[in-house]
Amino acid sequence: MNWEWLPHYIPLLIHGLYLTLVLLVSSVVIGGIMAVPIGLVQVTGPWPLKVLAKAFCTFIRGTPLLIQLWLLYYGVGSLFPGIPGIRDSFLWPILREGFYYAVLAFSLSFAGYEGEVMRGAFLGVPRGELEAARAIGMSPWKVLTRVWLPRAVRLVLPTLAGEIVGQLKSTPLAFTVTVMDLMGARAKISSDTYIMYEPLILIAVIYMILTFFITRAFNYLERLVPQRR
Amino acid sequence: MANENSQTAVVVEDLHKSFGQLEVLKGVSLTAREGDVVSMIGASGSGKSTFLRCINLLELPTRGRITVTGEELLLTPGKDGDLHPSDRRQVERVRTKLGMVFQSFNLWQHMTVMQNVIEAPVHVLGLSKKEAIERGEALLNKVGLYEKREQYPAFLSGGQQQRAAIARALCMNPKVMLFDEPTSALDPELVGEVLKVIRDLANEGRTMILVTHEMKFARDVSSHVIYLHQGKVEEEGPPKQVFGAPISERCKQFVSSIH
Repeated sequence: MNWEWLPHYIPLLIHGLYLTLVLLVSSVVIGGIMAVPIGLVQVTGPWPLKVLAKAFCTFIRGTPLLIQLWLLYYGVGSLFPGIPGIRDSFLWPILREGFYYAVLAFSLSFAGYEGEVMRGAFLGVPRGELEAARAIGMSPWKVLTRVWLPRAVRLVLPTLAGEIVGQLKSTPLAFTVTVMDLMGARAKISSDTYIMYEPLILIAVIYMILTFFITRAFNYLERLVPQRR
Repeated sequence: MANENSQTAVVVEDLHKSFGQLEVLKGVSLTAREGDVVSMIGASGSGKSTFLRCINLLELPTRGRITVTGEELLLTPGKDGDLHPSDRRQVERVRTKLGMVFQSFNLWQHMTVMQNVIEAPVHVLGLSKKEAIERGEALLNKVGLYEKREQYPAFLSGGQQQRAAIARALCMNPKVMLFDEPTSALDPELVGEVLKVIRDLANEGRTMILVTHEMKFARDVSSHVIYLHQGKVEEEGPPKQVFGAPISERCKQFVSSIH
């Protein structure tokens, strides 16, 4: 094995790791926030929103993430340059960056999967607990924010770690739209040095370590709220 | 009734409720004055729980009038045939005066006992957390759960959960307590501890409406008993009359079969 290249590329790898983490965290946060209303309206209606949310989840879950990413980047992204004056606008630096398309695509994807999960979680909160909240005088908003949502989130917590790990392992797709994440850094190293395996092995180990930390963090979170099963 | 001169706490007039074609309540009325303990008895399916749930509009009645501490609930007929609240805020305000205890406890499982108890006083009534905790500690002491205040409901027995649920309702300082078969989901050996708490409340002069299958208990604590049969009041009066010398043949049968 040849690791002579490593010291030279450490800054590149660190930057790649940074981008991977930013992709992961931003898409989990944005997608996770979107998932709440997407899950909720599927339970409460009104029906036009319910249909819309259902259709969104079906599309996201029914198509490969790579295709969604490319649809955004090559499809929607290629429409922008046709708009007059856009190259001079302040938006252009964002619109031409693959990174932002990746954040958008990954967020939508996470929202689609988690929206479906949240739908189930909202349904899984016992009716009686919601009734107790109403009976004690809570407004619908209070019922949602004090009982229904926090209760649903705790139901989801045990599966969330797995979903986030899955999301982490989708992030290398960003490399296909020019993002220099871990996978992108690896590609650069390989094309510079003609070394294939060692960089791959290295980033595989890094992904595994990240997975380990995510799992541990959620184990800890779960233990904060003891639930008898 | 026991307290003829005191203020009315809950007045329900001519309450009807249908689920589709099935009419479960066919014009039931009830008056509870301050300090009254009104028990509703009857076979399963007689409509007594539905009636109780209509008082705080967890169930929407089809017809009738509900007045809580002198304030009539504003209701308008909806397309589905039920009466809907015209003013959501009125309903929320009135509900804070009606402490409800459920058959299945319905404690919020993601909160400790103390968090359950102070949740609504803080987030609905706007009490300071400190004040609510003081109230909560006193009430948990009273129901014998002070030591369990930091526990999550899942780690309590059914009897303890129900006592915590009673403390949760009491912490709102409600005018009236509504009990919906509070001991029906309990193991027999846990029934006593819950009944004791309810009996103490009755002795303190709390106004209560109690749906129950515990006949002996109803006889002991009630000031007024209503026997429902197929959605109608078949017999009502002081416990001595309803349990001792009922006029209705059905009530006589029901009461004797339970004893």
